Formats: sequence, structure tokens, C-alpha cells
Amino acid sequence: MASQKLHRSFNFTAFITMSRRYDSRTTIFSPEGRLYQVEYAMEAIGNAGSAIGVLSKDGVVLIGEKKVTSKLLQTSKTTEKMYKIDDHVACAVAGIMSDANILINTARVAAQRYTFSYQEPMPVEQLVQSLCDTKQGYTQFGGLRPFGVSFLFAGWDKNYGFQLYASDPSGNYSGWKAAAIGANNQAAQSMLKQDYKDEITREEAVELALKVLSKTMDSTSLTSEKLELAEVFLSPTGEVKYQVRSSESLSELLIKAGVTQPAAESS
Amino acid sequence: MKLDSGLENSSSIFLGGCSGLEADFSAPPLFDLPITNDFDGWQKKSVQMVKPARGTTTLAFIFKEGVMVAADSRASMGGYISSQSVKKIIEINPYMLGTMAGGAADCQFWHRNLGVKCRLHELANKRRISVTGASKLLANILYSYRGMGLSVGTMIAGWDEKGPGLYYVDSEGGRLKGTRFSVGSGSPYAYGVLDNGYKYDMSIPEAAELARRAIYHATFRDAASGGVASVYYVGPDGWKKMSGDDVGELHYSYYPVVPSVVEQEMTEVPVA
Amino acid sequence: MECVFGMVCDGFVLVAADTSAVNSILVHKSDEDKIMVLDSHKLLGASGESGDRVQFTEYIQKNVSLYQFRNGIPLTTAATANFTRGELATALRKNPYSVNLLLAGYDKETGPSLYYIDYIASCHKVEKGAFGYGAYFSLSMMDRHYRSGMSLEEATDLAEKCIVEIRSRLVVAPPNFVIKIVDKDGARVHKWVDSIKDEGAAAVAAALAAA
Repeated sequence: MASQKLHRSFNFTAFITMSRRYDSRTTIFSPEGRLYQVEYAMEAIGNAGSAIGVLSKDGVVLIGEKKVTSKLLQTSKTTEKMYKIDDHVACAVAGIMSDANILINTARVAAQRYTFSYQEPMPVEQLVQSLCDTKQGYTQFGGLRPFGVSFLFAGWDKNYGFQLYASDPSGNYSGWKAAAIGANNQAAQSMLKQDYKDEITREEAVELALKVLSKTMDSTSLTSEKLELAEVFLSPTGEVKYQVRSSESLSELLIKAGVTQPAAESS
Repeated sequence: MKLDSGLENSSSIFLGGCSGLEADFSAPPLFDLPITNDFDGWQKKSVQMVKPARGTTTLAFIFKEGVMVAADSRASMGGYISSQSVKKIIEINPYMLGTMAGGAADCQFWHRNLGVKCRLHELANKRRISVTGASKLLANILYSYRGMGLSVGTMIAGWDEKGPGLYYVDSEGGRLKGTRFSVGSGSPYAYGVLDNGYKYDMSIPEAAELARRAIYHATFRDAASGGVASVYYVGPDGWKKMSGDDVGELHYSYYPVVPSVVEQEMTEVPVA
Repeated sequence: MECVFGMVCDGFVLVAADTSAVNSILVHKSDEDKIMVLDSHKLLGASGESGDRVQFTEYIQKNVSLYQFRNGIPLTTAATANFTRGELATALRKNPYSVNLLLAGYDKETGPSLYYIDYIASCHKVEKGAFGYGAYFSLSMMDRHYRSGMSLEEATDLAEKCIVEIRSRLVVAPPNFVIKIVDKDGARVHKWVDSIKDEGAAAVAAALAAA
């Protein structure tokens, strides 16, 4: 009798949307082999302010779009989308900021722990991996929702030089020459694919990132208030530097790149 | 009802003036608590009494044909000989032997425990455990109990896929791979004979005799070693007991009593 | 008693150690290798209680290779030294390991280096170092004769001078020593400096090699 009943309910759900039965459970696969909660988390990021990262031979560029939700909102003195994890690693965020804050803290702790153990900076990929292990945990262990955050990590280490990684809520990560997360990331990604050249310099990378962002942003004009730009590069003395562009220098850059005017072919 | 008259004394000592209460509570028999200011020292001495220290001679060596393992059979507690017939060579499995020096209980228990683990390994992997593996298993267990009072000095000898194997393992966590070991209070004496007589190219009877002789000489000088000198041989087909001789009898076979000429007979002194 | 010493030379590090396994007055073994090859380009010379010595050095070795498996890159000598120090420090207030260590390594970027780590978890980068009773003799020998940038011949000669001094002045001097080196081509045994031979050990080794 039990099997009969089960059989009937299976037929029933097969006709109604499959997601109903499985989407409230983070830890359960749907019959098609999907984890709905994780997909929803990625969906949430698709609406968030986007971020673009470009790897060049002499540094990594991160750029992010700040969503100005209200005129009354005080623009933050510090960065909103860029965070320094350690002296040699920084990240750009897209998604739920409150979730991101938790993960950024975890990443900073991991980096410091590593230096405590080994007295040297944590290799970038290890840092990304440790953070993604945390993210993955939330897609598997009961009763929790996944983190609604994607990251772009930019960093330098002695093993592999400059690196750029992107991670998503499932805990997957991958290394990129140029990557985009957040709103319109697919459009941005295909533009990057088109325009990216190997042997690109940092200066060119900044220009490329600005250009792509200006074209994929929903708002019509790109101004320095809506932007954040950070770079990771080596100083002449060989130290790793993390630098965030000031509002003034951003304005200059925008003019130089010729993207201050309302973009004609806005998507 | 009192179970033990000996305890009656002690309970009255400790209960002192309250002897009236004794009748009301059928007090459980008490252990005699030590009357001492130095409890640690007392405890240490007691442990020493219970634990026959390494009053033993055991040895093992690898030679051309395999491994020879030998031991005496005396158990002592301080000056008291508690047994002359202890099996100090423990048969872990048909291809592996362990020797026993230190706490008899510790050695016996952990060797049987090792036997269990070796058998489980055999069932799981469809092949016998190597001597290296078995000795490491034991050393890791002993190391995890380090500083907790275990007293074990053992040799694990056997034959595995690589041929003969011999390891020394102790309760301090030490584990040494080697070809010639002796453990116990009589070991310096045994080493003397063993090192001198050892050749790699010995026949099995020669090696067995060397082992027996080394044990005999150790029992001769070391008061804590004695009883029977047993000798085992481990070869490609497993272990085999070669001999077990009372060291007293060995003494007379090695050094028969020679009738000697009496230097001077006692004679009647003539009365002056 | 135990003698472990080492020195940084021209493009390589030399580590020497005695090979005696001792239990109170008894020498159980004179061919016990106390210098562990940690990974392809690291040596770990250790002195201390036999149980602790083996357990701790193996623990470090396994952790170093775990790191390499997990991350696909080797740990630098400096990182290994700090990691080892950290493990000793955490164990120190729980159940301390009685081991003193000399960590020698060769890295692509930094070249040869030597770290002195003792059982109370201090860690120093040194160009020469020693542990055990032999240290009293070998340290002054190295202070007198060591120069930075010594060749392999000069370094071997100095190591052998130290061994001769230990053998002639130390009451409880161990008979046999092993010298290992690590350079750009990896860590390996350089030579054994033996004054006594064990027939059994040699014969068994030969028999095993023949089989």
C-alpha cells in the first residue's frame, strides 16, 4: 500500500513543477539532479551590482558598480565592493553584503592563520579554496541557506604571480584572465572574451574593464560615484600593493577612456 | 559479618573513637590506606613491587636461515622469584613471535591485542601483515600510552614477504629495526656472548646453540634471569620451537663436575 | 651521546649526525639514521628521546607531504621551519616532545638554508648549528674553521674534523656518523663515517639487495 501511495504522489509531482518539493531544501537534490536553493542564490547575485576583474601581466584590476538606491543615502567613505583580505589579496563582491561580510571575515582569519603557522603569505588559490570550502559546506549541511555571494579574487603570490579567481555560492571557483560577476555578467563576459588580449598591460586592463562595465551597466551614464576601482600590483621595490582609485582619479580615467558620455548602445 | 579478619583491624584504626557506629553501618571492607606523607613515593614503590622490572633476558637475531629468538623463563618481584616457568616468547601468529620483558601483564595483554590486529589485517587484506607493519602498530599503541606507566620491552620477530624481520619496540615509544637485539636486565651478558659468537652464515643448529648459550650465560650472571632457556626459530614456513632446557642442567652439561684431587685429607691430630 | 650538527655552505647544506640508538648504558644499534629526508629538498636532523624523535619527525614529514598533495606546491624551508616550531609550541604545554631539530633545505628562490629548532620551540635561522653532547666540541670547531661559501670538500673535511674531535674528547662518544647534504639536485646521503661495523646488518642488507 505504501508503495502505491508513493507511486501516485510521484506521478502527481511530475506534472506539477518539480521545484515545489525540493526547492526549500538546500541539502536535497531534485529528481533532475539540481539544488534549487543554490540556484536561487545565484539568481540573487544576478540582480546585484556587477563586478569585473581583468588580469594583466603587471597587475590585476578589479572594478565594481555601486548601486545608488537613494539620493539620501550617504555614500560610504570606505569601499563597498572591494575588500583587502591580506597584503597580497583583495576581492570584489557581488551579492548580499551581509553574507559577504561573514565570508570576508573568514577569509581574513584564514590568511592570518596561515601567516601565523608558516610566517609567509598564504598562496592565493589556497585562500580562495578555503573560502569555497566554507561556501560548499552551506550547500550540504542541513537547515542552512547558502551564501548569496560571488567573489572575484585578485592577488599575487611567489608561486604563480598575479592571479584572478571567481567563486559562486555553490563553492565552485576557477581562475580567469578576465571575469565578470553580478548583473549582466554574461554580456560582460562575452565582451571581455572579445576584447581581451594576452600581454595586456595594467593600464589597458583598466580601460578594458571600464569600457565593458559602461556598456553592461543598466544606468545610462557612468560616473565616479557609481564606481569602485582597485588594483593589485607590484611596487618598484617588489612589494605587493593594493590601491583603490580616488574619486578624482576615477573621473580622469573615465574621461580618458571616453565613457563619461551616456553610452549610446546600452544593453 | 566480617569477611576478612585482617580488615577488621584497619577499619578500627581509621574509625578510631567512633567504634560505636561500626555496628550500625555494616561498613564495607576498607582497604588499608598507607600511612605516609609521601604518597607519590609510596605509590611508585608499590608499582615497582607489582611490576617485575626487566628482570629478564631475551634475545633475537637474524641470520642466513631466518630469525632465532630465545628467552629465559624467570619472573621475579624484587628479590622474590615468583615463577620459574614463564612463557616469555609469545606466539602472535604462526609466522611471528614477540618477546616479553618488563611488565608481564602489559606485555601479555598488548601482544594478544597485537595478535588480534594482525589477524584482522590478514582477513581484510588477504595477506599476512609484515613485521614492519606489526611492529609499527604496537609502537604506535605504546606511544599513545607513553608516560602512563606501561612497561614493555619487546622484540617482534617474524617472516614476511620480504624475508626475515626483526624490530625492537619499547613502552617509551622507541622502535628500532635491526639484526641483533637483546632486552632485559640480563641483556648485557647475553650481548657479550651473542656479539662474539655471531656470524651471518650460521646453520640453524649453530644459531640455536648460540642463542641458548647466550641465554644460559645471562642467567648465570643475572640473578633476575633463570629457569628454562627456550629457543625458537622463525623461517619461511613459520616458527618452530628448537629447545627448552633448564639452565641448571645446562650448566652441568656445559661444565660437568670434574672430580678433583683432594689437596689434603682431614686427619686425626695425635693427642700430645 | 647524541651529536647532530650542520652548516650552510656554497649552494648546499651539510648535516651530520651520530647513528647510535642508546638505552641507558646499552647501545642497541649503531646504524640508526637520525637525519630524515623530509621531502625532495629538505633534511631534518633530530636528537632526543627515541620515541618522540621518530614520532615527531614522521608527523612533520607527513604534514609536509600532505601540504604538497593538497596545494600542488611544496612548502618552503622557512615555512616548514615555522610550521615545525608551531607544532612544538602547541605541544609544549600539553605533552611536549623532547626533540631538538636541525632543518636544512634548498629553495629555488632563497637557496640553501638551515634552521635551528629546539624542544622548547625556539627557531633560529643559522649558518651553523649543533645539538647534543657533541655540540660542545663541534660548535667551537665550526666557529674556528667555518667560512661562508665552503666547497663540498672543505665542508666534508670540517665535518670529519668535528667527528674526530668528538670521538677523541667525549667519554660517551658514538662510533658511527652519517653525513647528508641537500643542494639544488635534492637531499641525499653524502657519506657514512664508521668506526665499527656490524657484520649482521651488512650481511642482511647484502642478502636483501641480492634477493
